[in-house]
Amino acid sequence: MTAVTATAAGAKPVAAQADDVILVRGATVHTAAGAPISNGSVLIRAGKIAAVGANVAAPSGARIIDATGKTVTPGMIDNHSHIGARPTDLNDSPMLIGPQHRFLDALDWNDPDFQDAVEGGVTTIVSGPGSGENVSGMAVVIKTFGTDYSKRMVLEKGGMKFAMGPKGNRTRYPSTAMGVAANLRAYLIKTQEYMAAQKKWEDDGKKGNPPARDLGYEAMSDVLTKKTYVRAHVHSATDVMTLTRLKDEFGFDLTIHHSTEAYKVAPELAKRGISAVVLPLGPRIGVGEDAMAGPAVLWKAGVKIAMHTDAPVISQRWLRLCAALAMRYGIPEAEALKMVTSNAAEIARVADRVGSIAVGKDADLVIFNGPWYEPKSRVDLVIGDGRVIYDRAKEAK
Amino acid sequence: MRRASLVSVVAAVSALLVVPIPLSAQERAVAIRGGTVLPISGPAIPNGTVVIRGGKIVAVGANVTVPAGAEIVDATGQYVMPGVIDAASYIGIEANDLNEPTDPMTPQNRAWESYNPFGTFAAGQAAPLRNKEALSGGVTSMYIAPADAQLLGGQGAVVKTAGAALDAVLVREPAAIDMALGSPPKTPARTQNRDPFTRMAESAMLRQLFVKAQEYQRNKTSTPTTPRDIGMEALGRLLRREIPARIQANNATDIRTALRLAQEFGFDLVIDGGAGAWEFKDELVARKVAVVLGQVSHQYVSNEEIPDKQDYPKADERLAGRLTNAGIPTAMATFSRAFGTLAPAGTGKWLLIDAGIAAGYGMSDDQVLKAVTLVPAQILGVADRVGSLEVGKDADVIVLDGPPLSVKTWVRRVYVNGELVHTK
Repeated sequence: MTAVTATAAGAKPVAAQADDVILVRGATVHTAAGAPISNGSVLIRAGKIAAVGANVAAPSGARIIDATGKTVTPGMIDNHSHIGARPTDLNDSPMLIGPQHRFLDALDWNDPDFQDAVEGGVTTIVSGPGSGENVSGMAVVIKTFGTDYSKRMVLEKGGMKFAMGPKGNRTRYPSTAMGVAANLRAYLIKTQEYMAAQKKWEDDGKKGNPPARDLGYEAMSDVLTKKTYVRAHVHSATDVMTLTRLKDEFGFDLTIHHSTEAYKVAPELAKRGISAVVLPLGPRIGVGEDAMAGPAVLWKAGVKIAMHTDAPVISQRWLRLCAALAMRYGIPEAEALKMVTSNAAEIARVADRVGSIAVGKDADLVIFNGPWYEPKSRVDLVIGDGRVIYDRAKEAK
Repeated sequence: MRRASLVSVVAAVSALLVVPIPLSAQERAVAIRGGTVLPISGPAIPNGTVVIRGGKIVAVGANVTVPAGAEIVDATGQYVMPGVIDAASYIGIEANDLNEPTDPMTPQNRAWESYNPFGTFAAGQAAPLRNKEALSGGVTSMYIAPADAQLLGGQGAVVKTAGAALDAVLVREPAAIDMALGSPPKTPARTQNRDPFTRMAESAMLRQLFVKAQEYQRNKTSTPTTPRDIGMEALGRLLRREIPARIQANNATDIRTALRLAQEFGFDLVIDGGAGAWEFKDELVARKVAVVLGQVSHQYVSNEEIPDKQDYPKADERLAGRLTNAGIPTAMATFSRAFGTLAPAGTGKWLLIDAGIAAGYGMSDDQVLKAVTLVPAQILGVADRVGSLEVGKDADVIVLDGPPLSVKTWVRRVYVNGELVHTK
């Protein structure tokens, strides 16, 4: 059974207008903002969610999508990926600290990987530079669909990528954990001094030429003023603790990514309100049972967590399975769903627009033919900004 | 002499491990009853019983007389099926022992001799790997081989994931001659400025090696005093079709080359990876070529975190179902290994869950389960011993607490050769 898309007047092409009114009805609706709604409906108008509940009347002329027996979730959000750029554009290795780099400047909006994301029910992603440097640049939060790039951009300053590595490279400094820590600390202090010089010039009435601009320190200033936040690639508990120290010293907002051993210091994260983005499926983590149970340990300690694919390491089609695997270790279904929807949105600072099915939010929805977490369930229909952007019924067999 | 000392070392090491039951052939019968029995070789048996004794399956059915004194395992509400078979895995082989970096073709090498059947070989690294990983996913047998950084890495073997001694672990060795085409063998060679630099060199070098092997067999027959060459001896088994070639080939160019080489030298062929195999379906059927696919969620089987995509057509979850329904023996495997200090993309722990994806793409649940049990057993040439619940086969049995392809299901009991080697 696939989703039936029709109006009272009969079959209509998928290419609808954004101002169409759509009513999805009959499904179990998982809003990521409350209890599941059995036989629930979602009303979409002008690309936004206009109503959600058990009793939503169909406005006249609305296109009805009968999702009886199916599962509806918010469009999923991958909090950490690298798609849209060529692999050779991900890491600017000679520039060990390069906050002036912007992933946007390497982004190919038409990368075929975006279609994989859509077909997997992933409608919003954070995509950013790699982890080959200590600071590798600014990520972006974008929608995975559409041809109007300005509309696809959700948040241009999508977070500053730190990486607690590379280490062990004996050909240049730093090659140890302490070296990486010192290198980051020194740069953050220089950023403070840069900001102070700028402020002094302003306080002195902007007399004479302004201090010379440095795009690196300027970009890092946004971190220290919390206009953006740190997204830190980290595996070991040692490096997690280093990051908490840097946060305590410099007062920036911190999220940690991959977070392999973060569970070992879960209370330290919880008391500082540091969120963790984790990946229980794939090459970087996850065969050892301790690490697999890590997300559940973090969750129980009160750490807000989101799942990620690190795509193209794992295809975004399987973001939902990352959350499903976490369920095996004791995270309840509703909480697991948040880790690929509302939590991912909150951590990415875009929860005002996406991440849950609530009135006023972007109309990004996924309709599954079974439980969203089961491997054999299929994505039947994806709605993005109020349009049908994927319909399995129209796919070649 | 040398072998005896190796066995005693292994015995000493295994004695240090926590083993719930002594790993000796269990003479007391075990009757697993009350569960839904999935024999794979036949239809599901609701409320069925499986009796094992002396390391073998002695009874399977709905109305089975349980021997007096048998240990009773109540599997009510649970599922009982044969141990899963991972048709391609490197778990148990240290990253540094997977390939000879200095020589593109080493038919004399036996993967078995890099394999540590009891090890926590990556202990201390980011993610320790051990056969426990395979066992926790219900994997009881797997094919191990040299990896793909060489054109011809050597001889693969079929092993159990648990056992009392080396002999008990080994099922078939050699089980195949293991080769790889495409980027993986080229990449290390190019960094050393040696061949194979191109795909042309890859097939030319293999062809020259097979010609040399043909000549060796001829010379050895006509002149028995010809000095022995153990690599040529191994290739003789391939040319005499005692064992097949396992050739990793994913895109059309590489699959075509593999088919061409097999035809030219008359050996049996199994395609590994096979991401582009659908294009060759008619030829694969006609020539009885089997395919061992990588994970459904992560088809890349090579040794790179982000592989050269020119080696792969676009991932297609329908592939396993399409090939199976076309009549091509198709197994789904993990190809799991440690690369560097990192953990693999997936281990046997996730094989059932990953294969479960294919059940949404044109395969029945039964077909999926067969593709991770009986089909790989047949491809590996060990179906007389493993792959289904049939009287006389090895007592490799797993008990699951829910439908085998559900993400919520855990493997609760794993028996290998009749011994309970994993519980949860």
